[in-house]
Amino acid sequence: MAFGGLLALRGVDIAVEEHQVVGLLGPNGSGKTTLFNILSGLLRPTAGEVWFAGCRVTNLAPWRLSGLGIGRTFQIARPFAHSTVFDNVLVGITFRSRHHYRRVLDRRREAERLLAMVGLAPKASARANELSLGERKRLELAMALSTRPTVLLLDELASGLSPKGREEVIRFYGRLKERGLTIFAIEHSFRVLAHVADRLVVLDQGTIVAEGRPAQVLGSPRVMQAYLGEDE
Amino acid sequence: MSLNTLAQALVSGALLGCFYTLMALAFSMILGVTRALNLSHGDLIILGGYLGYWLWSGSGLHPLFLVPVAGAALLPLALLWHWLFHRLPEPRELSSLVLTFGLSLLLQNIMLALWRGEYRLIASESLTGSLALAGLRLNQGRLVVAAAALAVVGALYLGLTRTRWGRAIRATSLDREAAALLGINVDEATRTTFLLAFCLSGVAGVLFATLHYLYPAGGIELTLLAIVLTIWAGVGRLRSVLVAGILLGVVEALTVAWSGPRWRELVVSLMLLASLLARSGGLARGWSH
Amino acid sequence: MGRRGWIGAGLVAAALLVLPPLTGFHPYYLYLVSTALLFGTVATSWNLLAYAGQISFGHAAFFGLGGYGAALASLGGLSPWVAIALGGAVGAVGAAGISLASARLRGAYLALATLAYAEIWRGIAHNWTAVSGGGAGLIGIPPLPTLAWLPVDFTRGRAGSYYLSLAFLVVVIAVFGGILRSRVGLAFAAVREEEERASLLGVRALPWKVLAFALSGLFSGLAGGLYVHMVRVVEPDLVFNRYFSILPLVMATFGGLHTLLGPAMAALGLYLVSELLLHPYVPAFHQLPYALALIAVVLYLPGGLAGLLPGKRSGAA
Repeated sequence: MAFGGLLALRGVDIAVEEHQVVGLLGPNGSGKTTLFNILSGLLRPTAGEVWFAGCRVTNLAPWRLSGLGIGRTFQIARPFAHSTVFDNVLVGITFRSRHHYRRVLDRRREAERLLAMVGLAPKASARANELSLGERKRLELAMALSTRPTVLLLDELASGLSPKGREEVIRFYGRLKERGLTIFAIEHSFRVLAHVADRLVVLDQGTIVAEGRPAQVLGSPRVMQAYLGEDE
Repeated sequence: MSLNTLAQALVSGALLGCFYTLMALAFSMILGVTRALNLSHGDLIILGGYLGYWLWSGSGLHPLFLVPVAGAALLPLALLWHWLFHRLPEPRELSSLVLTFGLSLLLQNIMLALWRGEYRLIASESLTGSLALAGLRLNQGRLVVAAAALAVVGALYLGLTRTRWGRAIRATSLDREAAALLGINVDEATRTTFLLAFCLSGVAGVLFATLHYLYPAGGIELTLLAIVLTIWAGVGRLRSVLVAGILLGVVEALTVAWSGPRWRELVVSLMLLASLLARSGGLARGWSH
Repeated sequence: MGRRGWIGAGLVAAALLVLPPLTGFHPYYLYLVSTALLFGTVATSWNLLAYAGQISFGHAAFFGLGGYGAALASLGGLSPWVAIALGGAVGAVGAAGISLASARLRGAYLALATLAYAEIWRGIAHNWTAVSGGGAGLIGIPPLPTLAWLPVDFTRGRAGSYYLSLAFLVVVIAVFGGILRSRVGLAFAAVREEEERASLLGVRALPWKVLAFALSGLFSGLAGGLYVHMVRVVEPDLVFNRYFSILPLVMATFGGLHTLLGPAMAALGLYLVSELLLHPYVPAFHQLPYALALIAVVLYLPGGLAGLLPGKRSGAA
């Protein structure tokens, strides 16, 4: 994947298995978000392929990938800023092609359920740009879930949160896993990943430098020193 | 179309193209330093033309003497426009379109009030003759206008490349933030750009008034021409603008030679739409290169 | 909109309803207010398009296409009602066409493309003399038939086209209101606010953009068709006039972007101030309110354009 004259990803070969949580680590600029942009259809890779559930899905448009069951969050929240929190969640519920509800009432009920799940029910009628940072993160998650994805790409859900917020994120990961979702997660904090991930992949300068069980990877002094630096 | 007509069209189109270059530069310079699209660009040129006409009919001086006067007369407006553009909210491309749509309407109303919508032409006798050269008949007015336009463009080129303020303008146009970090006074460079650009518009206005009839609503066509040239040439590349200007002049002259003058206006709009579609927002490329 | 807003709107509607008898069916005043109502319709349809994040600088194209379409159909012997409906269809097709062609353009560049589009149609109307009558236009367009089943007060003189314009404006506002509450409105807002995000949530942007253009073009085209049957002539510089591009933009942004009634209210206010207060005394400056309103919106109404400007990615595609 060439990006702005710079090779952003090279020879990256990652398989994410069903019902697993795979963590993606690496310093800034190592290509994590580029990878997510390719997987969700926002960027087209110059070479390479993306496979999903036995189908080649390279170069499919985001709305198609969403229809296949891929959902994602953004590190910096990108809600529909001038719409209400409720409408933000309602969009995915209304326009998804799978599990489509014909009745408006059913759609609205599901939006209420989703907002209650992430703890945003009291803010349902606020505009998205009035939310605090923590609330935006919750909204990101609710929006990603609104299409009922089977694979969830989570981009730094825990970053910028207080220790208490981070605990909550860890609990969320547990609940999503219980629901049978497959999760591919970028997290800056390996403490979070150590709690939730079944497997870790470490990227640096567009290539994979380490891969394995969290204890293995995080125990490796080389990884600790070179790519994770300090835990925030 | 005979070979002679073709050659005639090519030459007179190229001469007109020199004027188009001068005309488009003001638009492109302002876009470069402010990222604002000035839809009132053509109206300012028409205003310059009316001022030139008013002075010419009052004094009877040769139009070329009035060129600097009209250029200077637009300077106060440069400061006003600069002040307004300074307050544009982001994203500037769109908010500037809205603002200058309003300014364009304002200028048209003022011209309508002052000159009552009558068609005006600086019909100086010294510009009406024609020269025969290698079997071609060259309109003397077009020759003078092209020469004057090239002289001004040349002077501008020297100014932008050889002087301190010129380099400041180019640096600001290339990358405003980087220029500021390098210690360039970008606000001053922006103000200088507005003053220069409006001066050019005044000059272009007087020259235009010797070629075409003026009427208050005639500015839009010039604005569209300037946008087409800017899409073709990119922002802040003076030599490319010259090439694009001559190309546009030739295309226009060939269209007129082939189908008569009434399709001329349509061609400009068609070229604008086609250029926009072909480059999908090509103006943006200019200021990010 | 608060309760005060609704009361205000109700009062304006009541005043508009009783205006013809109050003016003694004065033809000039009725013509003036009818035109203001049509501008209100075009401004509302402009606002509908802006609600989907698409900024048009070329609504004159849709208005004019509707006008010419209706005029040609009517002169060809069709009933004016059918002709106006056809005009609306022509406006919708013309709008959908530019939307499809410029699918890759956004923000300011889309606006420029629509501006060029309107100029192109004006040029075509000027030059395609065999169909459009050229610069002289087409004359002899039949008047709107009188609806004999209505009470005579509704059809007397110019009152017929007046009440028709009023009813049309109410219908367009009602349709816009319905869209705001429906899934169409939800998709429009999503495409406007964050096109990529919308796509990730299953909303493919292009069909919704084309729909927004087509609806806006339909209403503007219908307004154009109605207009040419009111004035009974059609000329390139009359219906493809740049004012039909500028004025809806001014009225919608000044009246309040994305609001249900703002654009129509602003249309009535600005147009009547311009025509009744300024035109008789300072004719050359009667368009000053529009220019000043536009400048004021950009400079002094914080957030006045905010809805126009989705994030920072709205520049180039």
